[in-house]
Amino acid sequence: MGNLIVNEFVKIFKRKSTYAMFLFLILIVVGGGFLTKYLNSLDEPVSQDNWKEELAKETEQMKKDLEEMPASMRAAFEDEIAINEYRIAHDLPPSDYNMWSFIGDSGTYITIVGLFVIIVAAGIVANEFSWGTIKSLIIKPYKRWKILLAKYVMVLLFMLIVLALLFISAVAVGAVLFGPGDGGSQIHLSYADGKVVEQSQLLYLAKSYLLNSVGVLLLATMAFMISTIFRSSGTAIGISVFLLLAGDTITSFFAMKFDWAKYILFANTNLMAYLEGKPMVEGMTMGFSITMLTIYFIVFQVLAFLFFTKRDVSN
Amino acid sequence: MKPVVELKNVTKIIGGKKIIDSISFSVYEGEVFGLLGPNGAGKTTTMRMMTGLMRITSGEILINGRSIARDFENAVRQIGAIVENPEMYKFLTGYENLKQAARLAKGVTKERMDEIIDLVGLTPRIHDKVKNYSLGMRQRLGIALCLLHDPKILILDEPTNGLDPAGIREIRNYLRSLAREKNLAVIVSSHLLSEVELMCDRVAIMQKGRLIDVQKVHGEGDAERQTYRFTVNDADRAANVLKSKGIEAAADGQKLEAALAKQQVPDVIKWLVEENLLIYEVKPLRKTLEDRFLEITAAKEAAVNG
Repeated sequence: MGNLIVNEFVKIFKRKSTYAMFLFLILIVVGGGFLTKYLNSLDEPVSQDNWKEELAKETEQMKKDLEEMPASMRAAFEDEIAINEYRIAHDLPPSDYNMWSFIGDSGTYITIVGLFVIIVAAGIVANEFSWGTIKSLIIKPYKRWKILLAKYVMVLLFMLIVLALLFISAVAVGAVLFGPGDGGSQIHLSYADGKVVEQSQLLYLAKSYLLNSVGVLLLATMAFMISTIFRSSGTAIGISVFLLLAGDTITSFFAMKFDWAKYILFANTNLMAYLEGKPMVEGMTMGFSITMLTIYFIVFQVLAFLFFTKRDVSN
Repeated sequence: MKPVVELKNVTKIIGGKKIIDSISFSVYEGEVFGLLGPNGAGKTTTMRMMTGLMRITSGEILINGRSIARDFENAVRQIGAIVENPEMYKFLTGYENLKQAARLAKGVTKERMDEIIDLVGLTPRIHDKVKNYSLGMRQRLGIALCLLHDPKILILDEPTNGLDPAGIREIRNYLRSLAREKNLAVIVSSHLLSEVELMCDRVAIMQKGRLIDVQKVHGEGDAERQTYRFTVNDADRAANVLKSKGIEAAADGQKLEAALAKQQVPDVIKWLVEENLLIYEVKPLRKTLEDRFLEITAAKEAAVNG
């Protein structure tokens, strides 16, 4: 089993396209860093002396705006007001943009990580069929389910590697361009269930990277299943990338009209929302989402393994 | 001799259609066994079932006594196979391709790898990417890949497809020597009679998913008397000469055919020369596998059609 995984590892890391992905990701983070640096230089820095007065004024204005707002947009504002009030009450000045802020912002690039992981997941089985190498692989003295499991483990490894690469690039670029920030920047404030919670910035960021990757993981598993069934990476990449980019939008559209939207995969992938107290459909809980995600995961895997182990290989 | 591959009433049904209809045969160690038949006869399907690529609908295939369906890992361990073209990872070098196979086999040492690379003559190019290999080199790497784990049985689907005459000859000699020297059972398929005739010891003739007959390639047909064909300037006169000596002969234009024992041939030539006949050519007409193949298939066809 271990050797099967080593083989998969070699096949991925001996291909130039893999390094092209890594380079692209690093360039995006570096580019994003410089762009952010430039945009920040246009803003006035927060004055450290009378920040309390300024923040209080800002918060007052937000409260007024809140009354005229549609209900759907209110939640985000309420969070910010609560956090601002907490800062004033506990004497925690808001920090200037720093390394931590940049790492947090770079979390949006998880979509790009998702894209790469989907490409790998969609190709890892389908390519063997298109290269014709599937036959020599299946004739090896390993049961078929072991061969497929090794491939799925490789997809997971690849996802962790790319995520780590993103995180490390963001730390490096952030540290060089924005500096580590002051003491206050080490603390993250979030608002959930009517309370403001303090936690370590590093822990919060690690958690948010991993939780934001849950959607990526499920989509990669779906791509893995589709490509195993159809033996073509194109179909799998097409469907999965479309859902990666548009899944949230489509789901929110249904969520406005129908209650069953909460059973859609994408209504459940954003686990971060529960930590911040804003689920996509009213009344959903973290437990419900984890159950739904588990069901989807099992269905994808059962289909993939059934098709792979039962199929007559004939092309 | 013990059978290393046994097929017992193997049947394959795809979409309600019988692709393979209850075939049985055994292959022994040290022989080259051919599967012969026109395209669509079921040769490749049979090979796919022997290697576990396809499931068997009913019946059983035993590899050294182990069922390919129920004891796949232990059965397939003893097989080296190339089904259709030898496909490898083109972005890897020849060596890295071998390494992939070595990791999945038991007890393949570095020395074994070097030995096999040397055996197929790829030593100078083994660290080149496979995408830069010629077809012949890929074929040789393919053989190295399936021999690496020292299998007892070699299964090759159309092994000479796409090779030039020199390459075909090389493969043919190599397979024969594997059977002779390493005592391997080699199973090849082909739709070319001439090729099977040169390469195999025994041949299973397949048609429309059925096994028509299993024959020895050499031996049975070679009776002591053989038909010889004489090309002469006047065949009718020559036929009369032979008849006067008590030998039955058939004349057709310039060609004369007669069934003779080998030692009679010089006499016949002498008689014809004495009668001032001009002899251009004398050759034995060996009954080819093709003739037998056509005879057998025609006879079965006739029997089926009543």
